[in-house]
Amino acid sequence: MSAKESVLAKAVWQETKPASPAVRNSRKRSVSDFLVYAAGAVLLFIVACALVPGWIAPYTPTEMLTDRIMQPPGGSHLFGTDYFGRDIFSVVVYGSRDSLLIGIASVAAGLLAGGAIGALAGYAGGIIDMVLMRLLEILMTIPGILLALAIAAALGPSLANIVIAVSLSAVPGYARVLRGQIMSIKGRPFIMAAHSIGTPGLSIFLRHVLPNSWAPLLVMGTIGLGTSILMGSGLSFLGLGVIKEVPDWGTLLSQGRGYLTVAWWMATFPGMAITLLVLSVNLIGDKLRDRLDPKHTRG
Amino acid sequence: MHPSRLMKSWQLMSAIALSFLVLLSGCSSGNSQRENQHSTSGGKVKAQGSDQPGTAAKGGQLSFALATSPDTLDPQRTGLAVAVRVLRTLYDTLVIQGTDNDIQPSLATGWEVSSDRKTYTFKLRQDVTFHDGTPFKAEAVKFTFDRILDPATKASNSAQLIKPYASSEIVDDYTVKIHLTTPSNAFLSNLSQAQLAIVSPAAAAKDGEQFGKNPIGSGPFKFVEWQENAQIVVERNPDYKWGPGNVENKGAPYLERLTFKIVPEEATRLGGVQSKQVDAAETVPPQNILQLKSDPNFQVFSINTGGLPYTLFINQENPPWNELKARKALQLAIDVDAIVKTLYLGTYDRAWSPLAPTTLGYDNTLENGVKADVEKANALLDELGWKAGPDNIREKDGKKLTLRYVDGSPNREKRNDIAAMVQQQLKKIGVLTEVTITKDVRSIVHEQSNYDIHGNSQVNSDPEALRNFYHSEIKNMAGRHNYPALNSPEVDEWINQGTVETDKAKREEIYKKVQHYIIDNAVIIPIYVFPYTVAALNSVQDLKFDALGYPLFNDVYIQNKP
Repeated sequence: MSAKESVLAKAVWQETKPASPAVRNSRKRSVSDFLVYAAGAVLLFIVACALVPGWIAPYTPTEMLTDRIMQPPGGSHLFGTDYFGRDIFSVVVYGSRDSLLIGIASVAAGLLAGGAIGALAGYAGGIIDMVLMRLLEILMTIPGILLALAIAAALGPSLANIVIAVSLSAVPGYARVLRGQIMSIKGRPFIMAAHSIGTPGLSIFLRHVLPNSWAPLLVMGTIGLGTSILMGSGLSFLGLGVIKEVPDWGTLLSQGRGYLTVAWWMATFPGMAITLLVLSVNLIGDKLRDRLDPKHTRG
Repeated sequence: MHPSRLMKSWQLMSAIALSFLVLLSGCSSGNSQRENQHSTSGGKVKAQGSDQPGTAAKGGQLSFALATSPDTLDPQRTGLAVAVRVLRTLYDTLVIQGTDNDIQPSLATGWEVSSDRKTYTFKLRQDVTFHDGTPFKAEAVKFTFDRILDPATKASNSAQLIKPYASSEIVDDYTVKIHLTTPSNAFLSNLSQAQLAIVSPAAAAKDGEQFGKNPIGSGPFKFVEWQENAQIVVERNPDYKWGPGNVENKGAPYLERLTFKIVPEEATRLGGVQSKQVDAAETVPPQNILQLKSDPNFQVFSINTGGLPYTLFINQENPPWNELKARKALQLAIDVDAIVKTLYLGTYDRAWSPLAPTTLGYDNTLENGVKADVEKANALLDELGWKAGPDNIREKDGKKLTLRYVDGSPNREKRNDIAAMVQQQLKKIGVLTEVTITKDVRSIVHEQSNYDIHGNSQVNSDPEALRNFYHSEIKNMAGRHNYPALNSPEVDEWINQGTVETDKAKREEIYKKVQHYIIDNAVIIPIYVFPYTVAALNSVQDLKFDALGYPLFNDVYIQNKP
């Protein structure tokens, strides 16, 4: 393993701040705790929107009230209405489903694929490791958003294709982290001990190596969720997303873009929804990282 | 910190600072250059004014933002309307079309038509020279038209427009006879279109394929430069004195320089006008038309285009849309008024007929003939045996009543939004609309014919345009345009009559019959008449438009109000 790779593998762990006095630490923690609770509340609300939009949204999202187009926020329309006369709040509530779905599905797909490749490469080593890693390095030379754009454009607009496009660019990251973790665990004395008493390789991998290596992936996945949501919305914004009766947030943003100077609320609220969701997910991801950081718990 | 490290970071910092300085100075020198250019041009304008005391100093420079880039400036090879806007400044045509569809002289001073209407004899102006100094003679006309027929030219739209041209015969230097294979009523008005503009034979022969990058015509402006995807610059042709009848200034244009900027992004294009970086911008979205109209610093021009309005064609090949009652149900359920008012905010006119109002033969009795009526539409579908299913979608023999609506992307003129509104409106009569927005209209619509509704429009100067969309002979041709797959012997016969009928009034009557048939049989649902819109600063004076809605810059000058 090269020095660069080991640094990459540990990058997630090494961002801890130097130990500070206990008092300052606790004050800091209370602020960050508040932020995390707020983020959790926002995330819960958005998940609720995705699960039971009918309980939250006051209007049907497809209902076009053509006598009430482009009304500013307030009154009976919390976020105003768009150029079709749809209630923007209701459309945003219903649109959360696709945005969240794209985010979670692409993280899951990326984690599974990346994790499998990383585990195989790390545990098997040798020529398999070499080939897999070189392939991933080729993939890594292409910037993530560019790769997603190319795939989405080539496969055509569908939800599954968007998930593939977004997840593929995250695969190398997950694979490298898990590979690094596994390689460092693999050489530990307790693994050698297991080998020496004749435990089969697969059993060592499943019972000893994997449980001790997967935690960083959880953190990466949480943080990656934000990126995926952003990238999925970006693809929709660029017109590569799924065209549906109920548009997702990226599509709403692009529909509102042409109206920024006449009806700012059309693009602003879907944009805020994306920002809030990504911010909440990232805050929770940060907290999760702190919690799972071995140095932090040790200190 | 380690001293060597410290030094390194210092080096880095100063390097960054330096590069910023270089960047900044680059920007500022660019600016000052531009300002210099501007001030010298201003000086010239003043000098010209002092030469001719008494007359107002008309002049200036104009920058005009286009929404897309022209493909070529070779009139015979272009397939894009945006190219025509530039071509009009560089070239002249034999004749021009006035706003009431009459044909007027331009490069031709007059013409005679033989009794069999297959030979046109044109008398030509004798004082015209091309930008490269070549004098304009009968040979140029013959060269231009023969060039279109030559397969090596790979002529685009011009090949359609020149039909049924057979050959040209040079009688003398300033007389040319044009022979047609069949009589055609559209021929003269087609000659007025910029795609049939006369090119300099010397330059076109010399530059060949590259002529589109070095265009030489006889128009009011001369070509200066074309920066790919950035701008096209033309300058005043000082020798110009053969302005056509649709402009006041027959001499050299007042503008010294005309710059067409290519700005595809809508918001940037309009922002350019609003921040006065460009003087005018084309294709203004409805929401901005209203905004700019209420601002005293700007003016908005809006010219309805002729030809076929934006129309939803119902494909009769696919059941149940082969049945009149089913199509009538669509006609009654789609509330076009609501669509046009909501999406275009009163800036576009609703279309009522397969022809646009400015086109010859337009039947205004069709106006207000169709009213949205959901109950009647429901009754019609009930009669056909489509009964409401559990999810409010109608069913018959276990099949759901679906309608495949295919529209192209990007969302030009909010056409995708029309699809979204139609989808909601058809829900009310239990029709499930599957909207497909695709970049690949060619294969889905033209090749596989996999649609129930497809929308399109065509800018054209003559009702002959109907042939391409409604004549049954077009149905099975490659690159089909007969989207409704209409197969009506009556309509075919009328369209054929319209092509050869010489009496204008009779011709109008024939096309009125066609229009009535199409609406009465719910072949299509006309949606809106497309206006060509231009937003301009108030300093832009006398911008005019020709019969097809293309801008004319001959009379334009810049006058800043104090």
